[in-house]
Amino acid sequence: MSGLAATAVAVGSIALAGAYLALRRFRQLDRLLADSKSQLEHLQRQFERFVPGDVVEQLTDQHAAFRPQRLRATMLFADLRDFTALCDHLDASLTVTMLNGYFERMSQAIADHHGHLTEVVGDGLLALFGAVEPNPWQGRDAVLAALAMRAALSEYNAQLRVRALPELRFGIGIHSGEVVCGVMGAGELCKFGVTGDPINVASRVEGLTREHGVDLLITEEIRRMLEDGFRLRPMPPSHVKGKVDAVQTYYVEGLEPLTAERQASRRTGAEPVTGRETG
Amino acid sequence: MAQLLDEIEWGEPILPTTADPAWEAEVRRRVGRVGEIDKRVAANRWVRQACVDVTSLRPSQIPPRLFNIALLVTAQENSCRYCYGAIRASMKISGYSEAFIRQIERDADLAGLDARDRAFTEFCRNLARARPRPAKQAFENLVQLGFPNAMATEIAFAIAMGCFYNRIGVLTACPPERGFERFANGPLGRAIGTVAPLVRPLTTLRWRATPPATQPTAELVSGPFGRVVATLTELPPAAQMMKAALDGAFDSPVLSHAVKALMFAVVGRSLDCSYSEGEARRLLESDCLESAEVDSAISSLTSTRLSAEESRLLPWVRDTVHYQTAPIQNRTRAIAAELGGSMALEAIGVAALANATVRLAMLLQ
Repeated sequence: MSGLAATAVAVGSIALAGAYLALRRFRQLDRLLADSKSQLEHLQRQFERFVPGDVVEQLTDQHAAFRPQRLRATMLFADLRDFTALCDHLDASLTVTMLNGYFERMSQAIADHHGHLTEVVGDGLLALFGAVEPNPWQGRDAVLAALAMRAALSEYNAQLRVRALPELRFGIGIHSGEVVCGVMGAGELCKFGVTGDPINVASRVEGLTREHGVDLLITEEIRRMLEDGFRLRPMPPSHVKGKVDAVQTYYVEGLEPLTAERQASRRTGAEPVTGRETG
Repeated sequence: MAQLLDEIEWGEPILPTTADPAWEAEVRRRVGRVGEIDKRVAANRWVRQACVDVTSLRPSQIPPRLFNIALLVTAQENSCRYCYGAIRASMKISGYSEAFIRQIERDADLAGLDARDRAFTEFCRNLARARPRPAKQAFENLVQLGFPNAMATEIAFAIAMGCFYNRIGVLTACPPERGFERFANGPLGRAIGTVAPLVRPLTTLRWRATPPATQPTAELVSGPFGRVVATLTELPPAAQMMKAALDGAFDSPVLSHAVKALMFAVVGRSLDCSYSEGEARRLLESDCLESAEVDSAISSLTSTRLSAEESRLLPWVRDTVHYQTAPIQNRTRAIAAELGGSMALEAIGVAALANATVRLAMLLQ
């Protein structure tokens, strides 16, 4: 009987020890898994500094690769005026500090209006609206973002003035159209981006801001997407590289309060359905 | 990216608590205790009723385990610190191990789930996230994987109502139930959690999916978003809950009927749900809004038919579809300061309900 009890105790002890070791091993594996996961999450966050977060999410999703798509998107190009010449006279670290301060403010204005800062080349930037996720208000968002960028630049210039630094000026061009978006590049040098004729037009329209001496131009496609409340001034149609027909652009002066009278007149078709032209 | 509990930024409460002893007694009778959310929505009849209906919801088709996973995943996707913490704590005292919960919240693929459970968790995340918006096909895939229609419908309903409750939590910045969370992680909570798995097989055995029932559809489809309510006919308590919330929201006089319908239309447009936008347009006919006016209101996110205060709700409700917690709480705080507590509370309720309703409606198309 005592032998049986001793065997039972021995078997029990072995079982307990086995369970303890298994539990310890399980906890080790669990910790390992948690650490790996934390590292992956950290990597994902770092990655999001270079590529829109939603794209990272799709790229890291094990079930779905980011599929190239053809969709309607709105492109906003912004470029600093005469910044290259300015760089020649400024200290290198000061140049980078000024530029980073500028991009930080522009990036915030874009994100606040549902846009994604997709590319920064030198002192220029490209923001996309409706390319990463569907956005039925993309044209409106892009123009509001541009107006916020204008306000942010004005505020930034006030700070630069105080520090006796040269002020910055920019030109913005906005256009919308069907583009192909996806992760493009070769080998290790890939990026999320869009391609198609509308992106060239947006870039050319940004270039037209110099010709017209204004800071913010939109195309007819964008004007059609706007409701009342935007003060627009038509510019003379201009020929741009790669387009046979002249491109009609509008200078965006700013916003104005929506009035009941205007709503009423619009319902009767007394004036254009979208946007308001001045001048 | 779905955040973990400690990563969620959470502001100070946006709405004050309202003392209503009679209502609190009713809440205690139905769910056992009065939660922080109940105190903050007590001033609005339909919102408080809908909130208690959600917390007292007991699944009739989905096993409790899947129901809990659905609520956890939805709260996490919606970054609701309040709900996420409460569900986590509730799961712990129900005997779910920390490791299991962590696996679910970190990544379903690593959770040792079988293919069916993984598909289920993925469906929960996709519907809650709606980025990209799921369609009817996602629901049909769930049915093909062996979830009966009534069960799949209940899953979708649980996620939709989770989205409702999560938004109430986020948009009011409701303080987390820290006491309950501490209890679940404390010695007594751990002790209960240790015993619970021994009892769970008994409760699971006792749990039986009740046969789906049907209610007269004509009655259900008579109100706002009737087609969405009609999809729940196999689940009478769910259908009644949804109908009561929708009828209550549109009958309430705190905000104008037009702004509420427009808020639904904006959420519908955001999620590319033509049914929801169409139904909102139908509701706006009773406000004598012409089609062109509705078009203009949706595309400009403003309308001269609305007061200046109500006009602010259209761009705001758009941002309640996909949000980051801190910015949306800051915007809601600003709106609450301008609108005042009672209008702000109803606006939060409408935004939450619109998000829930449209997420269900997306599965119709």
